[in-house]
Amino acid sequence: MADRSTDLVQGTLDMLILKTLALEPMHGWGIAQRIEQISRGVFQVNPGSLFPAFRRLERSGWIKGEWRATENNRRGKYYILTDAGRNKLKTETREWGRQIAAISRILEA
Amino acid sequence: MTILRKFARGFLALFQKKQFDNELEEELRGFIEAAAEQKMRAGMSREEAFRAAHTEMGSTAAVRDQVNESGWESVIESIWQDLRYCFRILRSNPGFTALAVLTLAVGMGASTTVFTWIDTVLLNPLPGVPTSGEVVAFENITPNGQFVTVSYPDYRDYRDHLKLLEGITATRPSALALGEEDHSQTIWGQFVTGNYFAVLQVQPEMGRVFLPAEYADTPNAFPVAVISHRLWQSRFNSAPEIIGKTIHVNRHELTVVGVTRRDFNGSMVGLQFDIWIPYMMRAELQSLNSDWLLGDRNNRDVLAMARLQPGVSVEQAQSEIAEFARQLAKLYPEYDQGMSATVLPLKKGHFGPQGLLLGPLQILMAAACVLLLIVCSNVANLLLAKSTVRRREFSLRLALGAKRTRLARQLLTEGLLLAAAASILGTCIAIWLGHSLPYLLPPRDVPLTLDVHVNVHLLVFAGLTCVITALLSSLIPALQSVRANLNDTLKESGRTGTSGPRSHRTRAALVIAEVSLALVTLISAGVFVRSFQASEKIDVGFDPRSVLLSRFFPSTTGYNLEQRKQFCIRLREKLEEQPGVTAVAYSDGVPLGYEPSWWENLKIKGYVPATGENMKIYRNVVSPGYFSLMHIPLKEGRDFTEHDDEKSAPVVIVSQAFAKHFLGKGMALGRQVYGWGRWFTVVGIAQDSKYHYPTEATIPYFYVPFRQVFRADMALTFYIKTSGDPVTAISTMREAVYQIDPNVTIFNSVPMTQFIGASLFPQKIAAALLGALGFLSLLLAAIGLYSVMAYSVAQRTHEIGIRMALGAKSTSVLKLVIHQGMRLTLAGLLLGGVAALLVSRNMAAISLSGPTMAGAGNLLGGSAIDPVIYIGAAAFLAAVALLASYIPARRATKVDPLVALRYE
Repeated sequence: MADRSTDLVQGTLDMLILKTLALEPMHGWGIAQRIEQISRGVFQVNPGSLFPAFRRLERSGWIKGEWRATENNRRGKYYILTDAGRNKLKTETREWGRQIAAISRILEA
Repeated sequence: MTILRKFARGFLALFQKKQFDNELEEELRGFIEAAAEQKMRAGMSREEAFRAAHTEMGSTAAVRDQVNESGWESVIESIWQDLRYCFRILRSNPGFTALAVLTLAVGMGASTTVFTWIDTVLLNPLPGVPTSGEVVAFENITPNGQFVTVSYPDYRDYRDHLKLLEGITATRPSALALGEEDHSQTIWGQFVTGNYFAVLQVQPEMGRVFLPAEYADTPNAFPVAVISHRLWQSRFNSAPEIIGKTIHVNRHELTVVGVTRRDFNGSMVGLQFDIWIPYMMRAELQSLNSDWLLGDRNNRDVLAMARLQPGVSVEQAQSEIAEFARQLAKLYPEYDQGMSATVLPLKKGHFGPQGLLLGPLQILMAAACVLLLIVCSNVANLLLAKSTVRRREFSLRLALGAKRTRLARQLLTEGLLLAAAASILGTCIAIWLGHSLPYLLPPRDVPLTLDVHVNVHLLVFAGLTCVITALLSSLIPALQSVRANLNDTLKESGRTGTSGPRSHRTRAALVIAEVSLALVTLISAGVFVRSFQASEKIDVGFDPRSVLLSRFFPSTTGYNLEQRKQFCIRLREKLEEQPGVTAVAYSDGVPLGYEPSWWENLKIKGYVPATGENMKIYRNVVSPGYFSLMHIPLKEGRDFTEHDDEKSAPVVIVSQAFAKHFLGKGMALGRQVYGWGRWFTVVGIAQDSKYHYPTEATIPYFYVPFRQVFRADMALTFYIKTSGDPVTAISTMREAVYQIDPNVTIFNSVPMTQFIGASLFPQKIAAALLGALGFLSLLLAAIGLYSVMAYSVAQRTHEIGIRMALGAKSTSVLKLVIHQGMRLTLAGLLLGGVAALLVSRNMAAISLSGPTMAGAGNLLGGSAIDPVIYIGAAAFLAAVALLASYIPARRATKVDPLVALRYE
């Protein structure tokens, strides 16, 4: 399998996780899968970056962890986006957009 | 808010670690299972799927670690782990730990002790005065630049005219007799101007201090007193009705209006006073003429202190004061010509113990720092040796994934733990030693109060030295072992850990540093000891043996002038009749005592002083028989007799230097000298002797008879020459005094040889302390050298075994090892010699007595660069080093070559 996981900058990973959770609460594996799917295989996040990110986001209060029953009726930890997290996502997205626009302008100048 | 939350979560995580870890474990397991299931759906077998999922994730332990590290509490955890680990290591090696801790404690104890002394004397000079930082000393300056005290009329003018001072006060310390006839006790107090407590901003504990109404200049108008807490406790049993009580001081009645707080001792640094009385009462209490006391500008006998206006700098005040002094000099040329005045920060003041202690304390601090450096190098060496042994362990850990910073941090923690333990021990030593500060000062009349408290300064200093010492000791070993090359160390077979060339160079450098520092300390100690010995041998010009000194304070007796004179004459007659007494005399001042003696402004007929020349010349007021008792030969002329009294012509005896300088060629006898408003005729020339310090230069001096120049503020000392031990005369003295007047008390009776020893005190103490420090440094350097040599020999046991097996004689092995050691020592000696040369130039500048008018006594009598001392110290150190190299070398040669070959 292609092991071309492009390393994501810490802040960007946080933003992607928040976005993924904006749709619905998910557990760790689900989030990793979703990011890989939607990015069409460009970003393959390894657990070594993912789980510390979860811890960070939890500490900052943007996501909340809950133990629930998974599809196979086993126990799994699901993460939910909080209101503060939703706000954070909005600001981060806006900021990201501004940066992208600026970079494009420079590249096209 | 986020920060707070993060902090809280981290805090929680510390305590719920187990639970968090389990949860994470479970979460990761779930992740792997989900990954494996996906692969199984894609067609892999169960085993393959799980293995693939595991490989993708990597080590769960690694992931867990990464998760843990993302929180701040992991740092605390690892620090805690480090501490526990270091603790275990140190405990498993008690010999090493004890040696390191003791060594460090010695260095830290010494420097902390000296620091507490400095703190007490310089940084907190006036306990009980809350804002003592803003109080300055006010001093006059003579035309040739020496600092003297102030006269009362001058003080008054300064007080009334200077704007930049918020207030200026004048004080005079005095012995006073407190109590009734039979239970009178000598206490020490200060006569102070009314605004004293206001200027110092000191509040009483009970009652009040002096009121503004009592600031006026009316003699004998304010019979009040403020007493100290200590006096209230000891003499008055802390009776609550003390306020308003009448007490008897020098047989006069005063009312107690206030009691000071417990920690207030007065305004002379380090001295303990018990009572404060308005200066206006001084004339009455000491039976002095108040016109003279308050009106004579030449009578410079008060100490002045001032408080600057807020926002005024010392320089601004100094220029205003200097300008005003110039105006005063113009107004009163006879008294104040050429005199200036200034204010100085308290710690630079010249009158009081801090003036004496400043120089020695500076030297001591430097020596203690040197000791600390030596100690650090020693411990660094020890740590280096130990870490070299643990090389393998470190390499393994690095290979297993430990971060280098973590290893270095652990070594630093070890150093910190050692330093912390040593610092606690050192602080205890310092507190215990700190109480011995009073021994640095010669015995004085006024009780000393150099109390050493455990205060914030001390703790901060101890903490700082702890950290700095830890860093100095463990930094190099930490850096060294962290740079370990993994491959080499792991591959080395059969060696428990050799030191690479770099490590050996570092240890060598440390030893060289130690040796050179030790040499510097030894040389300094040698210089002081020599100078002390030299001072002891100086001929002082008189013979103090078999002489008993007894001092009186006539002002406490309540006698008037005439009565005092009669008392002296009668006492002398009575004493001369006693058996065992071969001669009796009395005088105003005692040579080589610790008080500066009096001077008088003279005009000499036939001598025109140069411009700006200081015509204030030191003198003594003596009885007939003084010169023969003291064995001071009279080169020309005659001694005073009882016929030189109030009615006959005033006479004076001058010293040889006086005659040479002022009377020039030709007959000295018969010349006229003007002082105290009268003309005196020179009737004799006495041989020069030492008056203030054994090491002073020769100065002009003169003597006048007691009966002709008797001032009420003079002191009185009786000299009794005995045929046997002077101590036997003490009871004779007491008896005789009692028979004349039972109410007069002798203040102090002591053999003169003992009294004079006081003037050599600073040098004696400096020599003793530096000698001790030098010895310690030597010991430590020797231990350092020994450990390096022993270690390197142990390293080379293998090699030595081969050499001896191949036929080398033990002597050549010995030579090999000793050569190595002596090379290091030589380098250290050279370096140390150069350093000592540089240092001694600074040391020679340190003076002991401060530039008061007495000829300044230098700490070092002779030249500081004495080749004998240098060579002697170097030779001594080299000899010790030789021994330190020889012992391990000899042990090495004793080893059976076969054993050495097998040695791993």
